[in-house]
Amino acid sequence: MTDLLGNDLNLQYELLGPEIALVITAALVLFADAFRRELKIGQSAIPAISILGLVVALLLSLLWIDENKDFARLVTIDNFTTFFRVLFIAVTVVVIIGSHEYIERRVSHLGEFYSLLLLSTVGAMLMAGARDLLTAYLAIEVMSFSLYILVSLAKSDTRSGEASLKYVLLGGVASAMLLYGLSFLYGVGGSTQYTEIAAALSDGTSTLELPLLLGLALIIAGLGFKASAVPFHMWTPDAYEGAPIPITAYLSATSKAATFALLLRWFAGPLLPAIDSWQWMISVLAVLTMVIGNLVALQQSNIKRLLAYSSIGQVGFMLMAIVTISDQTGSALLLHLSGYIITNLAVFMGVIAFYNRTGREEIVAFRGLAQTNPYLALVITAGLFSLAGMPLLAGFLTKFILFQSVVSGGYTWLVVTALLASTVSLYYYLQVIRQMYMYQPEGDASRWRLSPTGYLATGAMLVGVVWVGVYAAPFYTAADRAIAPLFT
Amino acid sequence: MLPTDQLFSDYVPVLIASIAGFILVISALIGSRLLAPFSEEREKGTTYECGMLPLRRASTNVGNRFYLYGILFIIFDVEAVFIFPWVLTFVGVGPLAYWTMVTFVAILGLGLAYAWKKGALQWR
Repeated sequence: MTDLLGNDLNLQYELLGPEIALVITAALVLFADAFRRELKIGQSAIPAISILGLVVALLLSLLWIDENKDFARLVTIDNFTTFFRVLFIAVTVVVIIGSHEYIERRVSHLGEFYSLLLLSTVGAMLMAGARDLLTAYLAIEVMSFSLYILVSLAKSDTRSGEASLKYVLLGGVASAMLLYGLSFLYGVGGSTQYTEIAAALSDGTSTLELPLLLGLALIIAGLGFKASAVPFHMWTPDAYEGAPIPITAYLSATSKAATFALLLRWFAGPLLPAIDSWQWMISVLAVLTMVIGNLVALQQSNIKRLLAYSSIGQVGFMLMAIVTISDQTGSALLLHLSGYIITNLAVFMGVIAFYNRTGREEIVAFRGLAQTNPYLALVITAGLFSLAGMPLLAGFLTKFILFQSVVSGGYTWLVVTALLASTVSLYYYLQVIRQMYMYQPEGDASRWRLSPTGYLATGAMLVGVVWVGVYAAPFYTAADRAIAPLFT
Repeated sequence: MLPTDQLFSDYVPVLIASIAGFILVISALIGSRLLAPFSEEREKGTTYECGMLPLRRASTNVGNRFYLYGILFIIFDVEAVFIFPWVLTFVGVGPLAYWTMVTFVAILGLGLAYAWKKGALQWR
């Protein structure tokens, strides 16, 4: 099979096995929910089917370790794609396990919730794998459209609809900018294929300085929106606050990681020859993001808004790795990304369990949690300390390796800023921990327990946080092998 | 690769057309404002020659079912946009094209079945 230009197309559908499996599962989940009465199945069957589909997709994606193939010149299947496929599937599994209790109680439209979650995972996986600008764009939209709806699904919370509307409008603006930027890039590079754009940009005969610069600025602004980098972060706190908490967790994990997968693919691939044109843009963005994100986090009183700003601050740290892009910083970024996701999920799983019990999300509501539920207080504390970068936890090691690689990339001043910002962040993380340990509980002071799935999700994430912090070698090797195909 | 000025020179006609368009519209508006006679009367606001006098305000509630029907209609309208070119070429492309379209229509059919089950086609 060839395309219109006569290029051979590899139509091996099994390369897309994980995506196909997830799409089929999503359809199954939707119909199982719609026909629940006729099929005589309970509510808990829906998440069970979803998890089954995710496990199948996980196994299918493991088939392609150390392969380097492409599907129809649209999607690359290499270790980088496999790394992100596994990461995204794992995140979705954890979110489903940790939150099905919350979802059954507080989310309308169960079947739609799970199937959109699966579809947005598919979008994220394709974002990591795309090797063509339009495929990448469509993948972004598949992920974003699902998330727009998911954000609005919190039953009986008017903030949810507001959050969704803001997210849709700003996301639409971002997509438009991104698409306009891509059209400039297409004009300069003469192709939508990453490899051909890279070749066109690096042969040095291009006199299209202005369109390239314009295209880069628009692309960076568009992706800045998706990654919630300052000054494109305004939607983040509102969307995080209004969304159902599992979706907030998902937004802060998969949506961020997928954007960074795309940034890595683009800035290490087609855009690498133009590094002098975009390096300063991203470093400005990185500094603004980590400073403003961490400073504004100081005055938040709602835990979801606090975590939103903290995640904005973290994006600033991650953008540093894009500035000094190389195989070393790339693998450090992948490691940091996985450490950050595990840590963030630990905190969010803790917050979900807390919300299930109390229905409150202000930081002062956490008063005395160490007495009423010492285990949950421990999980949240470990997560927050890891976000702040305390030794022996995931956050310290991954941040250390990331900062070290940026220094060796020659951007010491960036790292100094990051260290200062990171110190500031310790203050607001400690504020939450102080509420839990230094105050007496208000009202009902009796001990309470989590549900079994709550214990499973928080326990797994707690183990993960400590494991990455103490023995990160397997993660490090995985990140190293994942980044290798980008720099060959 | 094209040099910058050539790339832009291809778009000069577009630029000229858009500037001319703006001038046309603006000059027409200004011209009618300057040249046309105006008179302020109550009768000007009412229905002209045929038609009845308006009874209520123009903005009323529209049942949101209309939007649902509209969306379902657009989905299958767009499907037709894909099917027409496919009809002309699928014999040449071979069985792959056939099965791709079957999959596409099947997915849309599933969507319709879902909407049906959820009561989207019921006018309550």
